[in-house]
Amino acid sequence: MKFNTVIIGGGLASLVAGITLEKAGKSTAIISTGQNALHFFSGSFESMEEAPQRVTDLFAEAGIQLHYNPGVRLMPMGTFRKSTLSLEDISIFPEPAIGHKALIVSFAGYHDFFCQFLAEGLQKHGVQCSIKLLNLPELEALEQSPSEMRSVQIARTMDRIWENVVREIRILLRDEDTVILPQVFGLKDTSVLSRIRQGVPAQVVFTGTLPPSVPGIRTQMLLKRRYELLGGIYLMGDEATGAHVHEGKIHSIVTHNLGNHFLEAENFILATGAYFSKGLRSNPFEICEPVFGLDVEQAAERSDWYNPEFMREQPYMKYGVATDATLHALKGGEPLRNLYAIGSILGETRPELGTGGGLAIRSALAVADQILKPTEE
Amino acid sequence: MSNNEFDVIIIGGGITGAGTQRDCAMRGLKTLLIERSDIATGATGRNHGLLHSGARYAVNDPESAQECIRENMILRRIASHCVDETDGLFITLPEDDLAYQQTFVDACRKAGISAEVIDPELAKRLEPTVNPDITGAVRVPDGSVDPFRLCAANMLDAKLHGGQVRLHTTVTGFIREGDTIRGVHTRNLNTGQEQDFYAPVTVNAGGIWGHDIAQLAGVHVGMFPAKGALLVFAHRVNNMVINRCRKPSNADILVPGDTVCIIGTTSTRIPFEECDSVSVTPDEVNLLITEGAKMTPTLSSTRILRAYAGVRPLVSADDDPSGRNISRGIVCLDHEERDGLKGFITITGGKLMTYRLMAEIATDAVCRKLAVDKACETATTPLPGSEEGSYEAVARKIWEKPSMAQKAAAARMGSRASRIRTRNKLDEALVCECEEVSVAEVTNAIERLDASTLTDLRRRTRIGMGTCQGEFCACRAAGLLARAHGCIEKERDDLKEFLQERWKGNFPIGWGDTLREAEYTQWVYKHVLGV
Amino acid sequence: MKLQEYTSSKHNFEECMKCTVCTAYCPVLQVNPLYPGPKQAGPDGERLRLKDPFFFNYALKYCLNCKRCEVACPSGVKVADLIMAARIKYDTSKPKWRDRLLASTDFMGHLARPVAPIANAVTSLGITKTMMDAMFKIDRRRTFPKYSPRSFEAWIGRHEKEQAAFSEQVAYFHGCYVNYNYPRLGKDLVKVLNALGVGVQALDKEKCCGIAFITNGLKAEAMKHATHNVQVLGKAVDKGLMVLTTSSSCTLTMRDEYPSLLGVDNSHMRDFVMMATRYIYEKLEKGATLRFKPDYHKKVAYHTPCHMEKLGWGIFSEKLLRMIPGVEFTMLDSACCGIAGTYGFKRENYEASQAIGAPLFEQIKAVNPDVVACDCETCKWQIEMSTGYSVMNPISILAEAILCEKDK
Repeated sequence: MKFNTVIIGGGLASLVAGITLEKAGKSTAIISTGQNALHFFSGSFESMEEAPQRVTDLFAEAGIQLHYNPGVRLMPMGTFRKSTLSLEDISIFPEPAIGHKALIVSFAGYHDFFCQFLAEGLQKHGVQCSIKLLNLPELEALEQSPSEMRSVQIARTMDRIWENVVREIRILLRDEDTVILPQVFGLKDTSVLSRIRQGVPAQVVFTGTLPPSVPGIRTQMLLKRRYELLGGIYLMGDEATGAHVHEGKIHSIVTHNLGNHFLEAENFILATGAYFSKGLRSNPFEICEPVFGLDVEQAAERSDWYNPEFMREQPYMKYGVATDATLHALKGGEPLRNLYAIGSILGETRPELGTGGGLAIRSALAVADQILKPTEE
Repeated sequence: MSNNEFDVIIIGGGITGAGTQRDCAMRGLKTLLIERSDIATGATGRNHGLLHSGARYAVNDPESAQECIRENMILRRIASHCVDETDGLFITLPEDDLAYQQTFVDACRKAGISAEVIDPELAKRLEPTVNPDITGAVRVPDGSVDPFRLCAANMLDAKLHGGQVRLHTTVTGFIREGDTIRGVHTRNLNTGQEQDFYAPVTVNAGGIWGHDIAQLAGVHVGMFPAKGALLVFAHRVNNMVINRCRKPSNADILVPGDTVCIIGTTSTRIPFEECDSVSVTPDEVNLLITEGAKMTPTLSSTRILRAYAGVRPLVSADDDPSGRNISRGIVCLDHEERDGLKGFITITGGKLMTYRLMAEIATDAVCRKLAVDKACETATTPLPGSEEGSYEAVARKIWEKPSMAQKAAAARMGSRASRIRTRNKLDEALVCECEEVSVAEVTNAIERLDASTLTDLRRRTRIGMGTCQGEFCACRAAGLLARAHGCIEKERDDLKEFLQERWKGNFPIGWGDTLREAEYTQWVYKHVLGV
Repeated sequence: MKLQEYTSSKHNFEECMKCTVCTAYCPVLQVNPLYPGPKQAGPDGERLRLKDPFFFNYALKYCLNCKRCEVACPSGVKVADLIMAARIKYDTSKPKWRDRLLASTDFMGHLARPVAPIANAVTSLGITKTMMDAMFKIDRRRTFPKYSPRSFEAWIGRHEKEQAAFSEQVAYFHGCYVNYNYPRLGKDLVKVLNALGVGVQALDKEKCCGIAFITNGLKAEAMKHATHNVQVLGKAVDKGLMVLTTSSSCTLTMRDEYPSLLGVDNSHMRDFVMMATRYIYEKLEKGATLRFKPDYHKKVAYHTPCHMEKLGWGIFSEKLLRMIPGVEFTMLDSACCGIAGTYGFKRENYEASQAIGAPLFEQIKAVNPDVVACDCETCKWQIEMSTGYSVMNPISILAEAILCEKDK
C-alpha cells in the first residue's frame, strides 16, 4: 500500500501530524502498537506557553475545546501545578486560593481519587474542606468487582447517570463555593462537563484520578475519529518491525500484521514515544531505537542514566533520537532524508521544542509543515 | 510489676529478637521487644528466604548443617504458612567437577540430610528451567521460608502470650548500676517520646547492629559485616531451589519465594558505617545475572524486579577477607561470664532459619539468670497461622468460594486470614493488584499488625512487592493510611519515602521493562498525581 | 555479555506495565462484574498461577477471546492468549455436553446437512428451542444458523475441471459455515476470483479450524483438528498455492492460535494463509482489474469483527468496498458484537452478549445502511438477529457488484 506519509506511533504527536497532513490532502497511515500515552494524560499540555490559533482550531475541529489560561491547576494529591493550555475539564486559577469552602465528592469504594490529600492540600491554602462519598445504586454492579472500580468504568456509568450526581450534590451543598469531583465525567459526551457546571450552584473543579485518564481517552477517541473522517488510515494494534532503506531514504516499512505487504510512502514520521511506548528500548548496555536503529543521544555508562533520588530529574528521560535542524532522524551521524522524529522519542534533545504535550504538538506541526512545503525537486 | 518493668527486654525486631521474645513469653516471662525501625528490616528481610536443608554447609561446616536440617524439619511443622516445601537440587554444571558430588553426598548423609543422586534427565523433568547441560543432580529437602511472615508470626505469638512490642523505638542508652544492666533508655522515633524500661535481663538481638548495641553497653563483640547482594526476578521461574554442587561461592542459589524468585548472593566485607546504607553495584548485578543464568538460562531474559543487599551478622574469628569461611554457627554471649557485665546477653550469628534454636539458646540463658525452670516448647507449638495446614485448605475452610485476594491472603497469613474483617463488597476491593491485597487485608494490617507506614504495610501484606513496585497500590494504601491515622502531611512524606525506597532497588537494574515501569511510575506520580 | 539484552523474549506477560489500558477496552467488563477483567485474568493472574495453579480462577470462562485487550495493549502483551492458555492448562472441570455440541460445528453440520429442511424447521421451532434451553442451556432466544441442503464441498467438486482451466490457481479453506450453512459465499468468492482469472481448488479434506474447541477448552479435539489442517494446508502450500479464507476467525485461528495456544507448528504455511480480501486487494494493486456494474448502488456499513481487528486486515476489506463505484461506505466504530462464536449461544451469556453488542446495534440503526458488511459469520448471525439488518461478507458484495463475462 502506498501513502504520502506513514506515521509510526499513534499518540498525540502522530494524530496532530496526521490530521494536519490529511487536511492538506495528503494520504497518510498511522501504525499504532496498541493505545498510547494519551490514556495517562493529565489534561494540561506541558510547556505550551502560547496557544497558537491553529492548535486550538485543530482540536476544536475534532470536538475538543482547549482553553488557554496561564495559572495553576489543582493536582490529585492536593498540590498545585503551573498550567497554561488545557482541556475544558481542567479549571485554571490565578493562584492556589481557589475558594473559601470546598466540598470534595467521590464514590464509596473508589480508591483512585485522593480526597484526604486534596483536603489537606487545599486547607494549606485557606480552603476549608469537607468530604462526601456518594453511595449510588447504579455503581453497585461495579462494586462487585474487586479490581474494576476504575475511572473509566465509573465514567461509563456516569455518562448515563451524571444528573443523579448533580442532584446528590445539590442536596449535600450548603455554603460551599467550590465542588471538587474526580475526572470521571464526559467519557463519550463532552457536553456533560458544562452541563454539570451549569447544574451545580458552585464552581466545579474536575480533578485527576489514577489512570486511565478519562479526559485523555476522550481526547484520543476524538482525535482518532477526526483523523479517520479526514480519510486517514489508523492501523491499531500493529507494530513496525523493520524498514527498507535505500541510499539514505526509507522506501517502505514492514509491520507485524501485514507481513510481506509493505507500507510505502514518500515520508515517514517516527512518533513511537519514549521507553513506556517502546520508542526507545534499553538493555544493560545501551539505549536504542528499534525500528530503524537510529542514533540515540545517551550517556555511555549505565550508572549515569539515573539519579538515585526518585523525585529528581532522571537523566535517562532526557535521552532521545538524534535529529538535524529539520527533525530528520540521524543514523550513523547522517540524516535519513525522508524520516522525521517527533514527540517524546526526542527526549530533551531539542529543548527549544519543549517537553511532553508541547513537544508533541510543536514537533508534529513543524514536520507536517516541512512535508507540505513545496519542494524544488 | 509496674508498666515499665519487665522480666526481659529484647533489643532487635528481626527474626532472632522476635523468636526470642516468643520463647521467653511462652515460658511465662513478661517481655518487651524494642525495634528502632520495623520488623525484619535488617538481615532478616534481606536474604534469600532459603529454608536450608543444611546441604550447603555439609562439607565445610557439619555442625551448621546438622542445625539446619533439624530446624528445617521443625519449621515445616510449626511455621507451615511461612514455609514452601519445594525441595532443592544441587546441580553440577559442565564447568564444575562432578567428583565433588560424591564428597557432597557423603557429607550430607553424615549430617543426617537426605541427599538423593538423581539422573540429570529426571532433574530436568522435576525442574524444567534448570540448565539442560547439567552433568549431575542431587535432590535435597531445601525449601523457602518467608522472613516477613515468620518474623510477624513470632512477634504476634509473643504478644498473644502477653509480650509487648515497641516499634520505631531506639535504645539511646543503658541503665547501668555498677556492673549490672538494669534497663534501657529509649526514644520513639515517630513521636520523639523518651521512656525508660527496666528488666533484670536484656538480650541484644540486634544483628549486625548488635555490635553497636554492645558497645553502648560497654562491651565489645567482634563482628564482621559481610554484605550480600541479591536480585529478585519478576515471577516464580523455578519451583525447586536450585544450588550449585560445588564449594559455596557467589550467586549459586536460586530460591523460589511466593510470586518471585531470588538469586544470590555475593559476599563483600564492608565497614560498619555502611551497614545502614548498603547498595548494589553494577558489577554485583552483572555477576548475579551471569552466574544465575548458568544454572537457569531463562534468567538471562527474565525481567528483574529489584536488587537489594543485606549485611550478615557474622562473628569474626580471623582476618579472612571474604568472610565465607567464618562459621555461621550460633553465638550466645553471656556478658557476665565473658565481660563481667551482669544482666546482658548477646545472641548473634546463625541464620534466618535457625532463629528458633538461637531463640531457645538465648531464652535458656535468660531463664538460667532468672532461675526460671520451664522447658522450651517452640519446637512443637505451631505459630499463629500455621495450625491448620495448607493455605488451600485454609482458604476453602474460611470462604466457600475464595476470591483471588482471599486465596492470596490465606497464603500470606495462614489460618489468621480468618481474622480479616470484610464488612461488605467494598472491603474486597484490591489495593495491590499484582499481589492481590484487598482493602480488608490492608486495614487489618494497619489496625492489628502495627503497620504505620507504607513500608510496614509492604512487609505485612506484600503491597508494592509485585511487578509494578507500588505504581498503583502505594497511593491507594497511602489513602487508607491517611484515613486511619488522620495525619496526611506525614503520609505524604511516607509516600515519597516509599517510592524512593522502591526506586533504590529498581535503578541498579534499570533497563528493559523495569525502566519502562519506572518511567511510567514517574509519570503517574509526578505529572498525573502531583506528588 | 549478551545477557538481558532481550528481556522480553520468553515471558511476554512480564511486559505488562499494569497501565490498565486493556481494562478500558474489554467489552465483557462493561457488562459482567463477575469477570475479573483482562489485566487480572491475564498478566496479573498468570504470575499467581505460576506460583500455584490454585490461583486459577474459573471466572476466566467469561472471556470472549475477542482479543481487543491485545489490540489495545501498548506493551504487546498477549493478554487473551494468556487467558485462553490458562483455561486450557488449568481448567479441570469437565466440558459440558452443551459445549461439545456447540463446538462440534463440522460434526453437527455433517449430521444436519442431508436433512437440512427438517433440521432448520426443527431448530426454529419454539419447542425445540425450549428443549435445548432446558437440556443444554442453549439460550432459547437465539436464532440458529440455517443449514444448506447441499454442501459447498460437493459444489466445488462438481466444478473442479472448470476451475482447473484457469492458469492461476488458489486453494480455498471454506470452513464449516460456508460448507454447511452458506455455500453462496464460497460461490461468490469463486465468481470474483474467476473474474480475476484465478481458479479455485478445494483443499484435500479440510476440517473445522477448531476455534470453538479452543474457546470451550476441548484441547484434545482442537489439537486433532489443528494437526490435520496444518498437514492439509501444508500440502496445498507445497504445491505453490495460496490458501484463501473468507472467515476472519478461522484465519486467526490457523495462523496464530495453532502455534501460540496449541503448540502446533504452522511456520511452513502460516504466511500463505490469508483472507481473500487481502489477496484480491493485492492483486488489484499489482494491476489486475475488475469491472463493476454501472448502476450498482448500495449503502454499506462495515463492521470490523474482533478477530479481523486482531489480524489488522480490516483495511483490505475497507479498501475493496470503497473501490466499488456506487458503494456509499461507512466505517462503524470497531466494537465487539457480543456473540464471540459459541459464547453468546450459552444461556448464561445471553444477556451479556446482547449488552456487549448494544452500542454497535445502535450505531447500525443510526447509520441505516442497505447492508452491513463483515468478514465473520457469527457476527453476521448476531447482527442480523439483533438489528434486522442483513449482513454480507465483503466478498459477496464484491461478487454482486462486478460485471462478469456472462453478465454482459
